[in-house]
Amino acid sequence: MIWREKRILLIVLGVLLLANTIFFFTYRVQYVNRLQDLDLKQEQTKARLEQAHRARITAEQQLAAYKKVQSDLQVLYTKNWATPMERLTALIDEVKKLAAASHLEPPSYAFSSSETKNPTRGSVGATAVGIAFTVQGTYEEARRLINLLELSEQFVIIDGISLAGSGAATDKTLTLNIRLKTLFRDTRTAAPTANKQL
Amino acid sequence: MKPIHLNLAARPFRDYRPVYAAVIVMALLTAFLALNNVDTLLKYQTETKTTRADIARLEEQTADEQRNADTLAQRLRGVDLKLLASQTEFANAQLAERAFSWSELLDRLERVLPANVRLQSISPTFDKDGLVHLGMTCIGKTGDGLSATLNNFNGDPHFANAFPQSDAQQQGEYRFTLGVDYRPSIARRVE
Repeated sequence: MIWREKRILLIVLGVLLLANTIFFFTYRVQYVNRLQDLDLKQEQTKARLEQAHRARITAEQQLAAYKKVQSDLQVLYTKNWATPMERLTALIDEVKKLAAASHLEPPSYAFSSSETKNPTRGSVGATAVGIAFTVQGTYEEARRLINLLELSEQFVIIDGISLAGSGAATDKTLTLNIRLKTLFRDTRTAAPTANKQL
Repeated sequence: MKPIHLNLAARPFRDYRPVYAAVIVMALLTAFLALNNVDTLLKYQTETKTTRADIARLEEQTADEQRNADTLAQRLRGVDLKLLASQTEFANAQLAERAFSWSELLDRLERVLPANVRLQSISPTFDKDGLVHLGMTCIGKTGDGLSATLNNFNGDPHFANAFPQSDAQQQGEYRFTLGVDYRPSIARRVE
């Protein structure tokens, strides 16, 4: 009877006591665990940041590598290869100059032009130009010409060499057939340009 | 005499002491736990302030990094890799051709050919694997020129598979042809 009369007060106190008890056992008693959980969360967040950082760096490096390749290709096409209009006469002059420097005078030159054949290169846009000539001279002169061609600033490839002696043991004169090749950027297609998004 | 029962109480008598005792005990317990809990909460907030701030900062940085990585990935998706690979492959092939050294080849031939043998003609062909096959015509002063040349090629690591094709005596000279594989320092690739 007396408990019923004071039930509201008892219920309120009971609820407060229960709430505090629950909080006490879940918070105070587990205090160290909570701190450890927080430290663990901190470590996990650090690990996630490290992972995201690595992913970003990898993507950056990949993009930089593509940019570098694009840039190198651009230089190769526009400067080293250029267009026939920009470089062909300079190349012919260079070959003649190097032959003269080697004391070899080719009586004639043959020129040929062919587009690159690989179908995937349709978008590459390069034209190969061949220059063939024959010279006669000593082995040392031939070596000097080959060396000068290899060291030339012009993008010239020695595509083939045929060296033949006169046959006589005493005759030191050699006949040297040289086929040179160079590449020009195709004027109909633009040089590889960096992707706009790069 | 009949006893007189006087009841002068305004209310019925109740003994509330157990109830008050229970209320006091519960109130004391509640107060103790509440104080303890408040103290714990404040302590937790204080002690973990730095850590929580650190976690928030780390999460913010992670979100930034992920945003940047997504932006870069989007830009990478815009790169035409097929075209780039095709252009690079073609350019590399041309550069490798340019890098092939005929001077080096002739130097090595000078070293490997015997003293009594001279080179009359040479015609190289280029394999896809970077090997160069040389077809050569040589003239020897003596009959053992061919075997000496083959032995020298076999003893040089830059040459391999030397094999004779012909050997004939003509007007006091020994003319022979042979084929040999040559591995240059920088392989020349052909398509």
